[in-house]
Amino acid sequence: MLIINKYKIKNMTSKEIILNSIKSNISTQYDMPDFNLNAIKYPDQIARFSEILKSVGGIAYLLKTGENVNEAIRTLYPEAKVIASNCPDISCATLNPDGSDDAHQLTGIDLAVVQGELGVAENACVWIPQNVVHKAIYFIAEEMVILLEKNKLVSNMHEAYKQITFSESGFGIFISGPSKTADIEQALVIGAHGVKGLTVILR
Amino acid sequence: MSTKHSKAGEAFLNDREHASWHNESLWFVREKRDKVSKDIPEWEELRELSSQIKMHTVSHLDTYLEQFTKNAEANGVIVHWATDAREHNEIVYGILSKNKVKKLVKSKSMLTEECHLNPYLIDKGIDVIESDLGERILQLMNLAPSHIVLPAIHIKRQQVGELFEEKLGTEKGNSDPTYLTRAARKHLRNEFLTADAGMTGANFAIAATGDIVVCTNEGNADMGTSLPNLHIVSMGLEKVIPDLQSLAVFTRLLARSATGQPVTTYTSHFRKPRKGGELHVVIVDNGRSKVLGNKDHVKTLNCIRCGACMNTCPVYRRTGGYSYTYFIPGPIGINLGMLKSPTDYFDNVSACSLCFSCNNVCPSKIDLGQQIYKWRQDLDNLHIANPTKKLISNGLKFLFTKPALYNTSLKMAPIVNVMPRFMLYNGLNEWGKGRELPVFAKESFTELWKKGKVK
Repeated sequence: MLIINKYKIKNMTSKEIILNSIKSNISTQYDMPDFNLNAIKYPDQIARFSEILKSVGGIAYLLKTGENVNEAIRTLYPEAKVIASNCPDISCATLNPDGSDDAHQLTGIDLAVVQGELGVAENACVWIPQNVVHKAIYFIAEEMVILLEKNKLVSNMHEAYKQITFSESGFGIFISGPSKTADIEQALVIGAHGVKGLTVILR
Repeated sequence: MSTKHSKAGEAFLNDREHASWHNESLWFVREKRDKVSKDIPEWEELRELSSQIKMHTVSHLDTYLEQFTKNAEANGVIVHWATDAREHNEIVYGILSKNKVKKLVKSKSMLTEECHLNPYLIDKGIDVIESDLGERILQLMNLAPSHIVLPAIHIKRQQVGELFEEKLGTEKGNSDPTYLTRAARKHLRNEFLTADAGMTGANFAIAATGDIVVCTNEGNADMGTSLPNLHIVSMGLEKVIPDLQSLAVFTRLLARSATGQPVTTYTSHFRKPRKGGELHVVIVDNGRSKVLGNKDHVKTLNCIRCGACMNTCPVYRRTGGYSYTYFIPGPIGINLGMLKSPTDYFDNVSACSLCFSCNNVCPSKIDLGQQIYKWRQDLDNLHIANPTKKLISNGLKFLFTKPALYNTSLKMAPIVNVMPRFMLYNGLNEWGKGRELPVFAKESFTELWKKGKVK
């Protein structure tokens, strides 16, 4: 607060100066529009979700009836040695990331397996309310699997924002595909700073 | 007689191959935007909704900023207010020095460019690391961004290869984008792991919930805020929007308009500080509140910084970001520069063909073209009008208001067709620079009409 005090004009804080300036400069006020938008709906949400996820560099994997999720993960990622997950039924995990005291210890993870809450067909987003101790796990692993119940799909972002929840941690994220960049000559490179590969297992 | 923009643009165009590549790279992004926007039947309705939400929010900005602050503070976020760039920088440094921060990793933020934060902090002994790949390339080259979303769009892969060879020890002569990106990933991973604080901008601040929302593709903002305990957010005060339903509209528009993606890879919502950590938000005015009182230009506050107006602009594509004198180039930059200081940034208003393509792609329907036209009309009042163009305008006004003189001149016009080039294309013919004069008709329309030749 010491810094702000230096700028006091007639004993006003910077906040008061700014808010007063806003109030004195606003002339016409406009109403909030009605949201009666006829937003797109997809008859086959799984098909659309899978198609878009593929186009952004990810994979949608539909678990067959009776297929074991751990076997599916091992088949999809045969090379992965260090697999981190706090999901109760992921027995192929070699490490529970929640056991680490510090996010900095989470280096060297080949594959993270995490639980998603809601998928969005229009853009292949999956909402994850932070459900691990260190959110770094979503980004620091080399590759990631998001588990998602296939009946937890919506068509568009309007529907998604009506349904998402937050956890106590106060962080939540929509993830659509693996990290990417095109900063060198607009050439698309999958795998920038976050995960280099992403599979969403729909079950 | 030429503006600084037109001179710099001319220099840019001298390297024809590079200029053509730059133009095509940006047009490619524009085409991707067209394709992905047509995938959404309600696209135009979304743009209208976005514009109306912004008009509403901006005209109730005090209410929404107070609501945002109240909710963010209830979530444990520390909110600061900065009237100008200097105060912003001092607040940021105050937080860093209190936490004994030696290394700060930053994700992309045009506001910190606006405030010249990096040189200020470096001067104070802080190690500042830009972590967006394009921004890192430019930081290592000691250059500024030439585009607000694609900061290094003007840099060729060979230049990046040579830079990384020198700075990161990559193989000689290897300029493969995947190879170079991997090298940067390794290099920056070490920076993320050893940083004491992370800094991000804000794409949106949600009044109803107190969330800060950051949209990125690379995951650098998330790496930078998942490892160090301290997170500082720098946001312009126009970034606040009412609620998550409004955010749904903007998340559908932003990436589609910016890069032609259905959405950014990451849409991160920071609602509370991390356990044991601190989350600071610095709300910056720096001239924005005054724009609210400017009826002709208030809509610039609708901007969600997607860069679509740059990608589509024929002048931007063919002259590059550095030809503009304001740090934000293209149609939005021309307007923001004039709002900052017309006498400093008037050179950019010539960088427009009034094709209005920018208006048609803007996801929040800012009347960018009309605004540039209005600035041009104001140049004379600001005593910065181009004297040659003023002379020509006055000459034409004289001619157009005297029918006899006008008709005589018109009869004489075909003489131009047979005049030698040196008499036509010289220093006196401003119009003839870089373009050919039209062939004048032997008979004017009036003459043809009188002779009954017009059917």
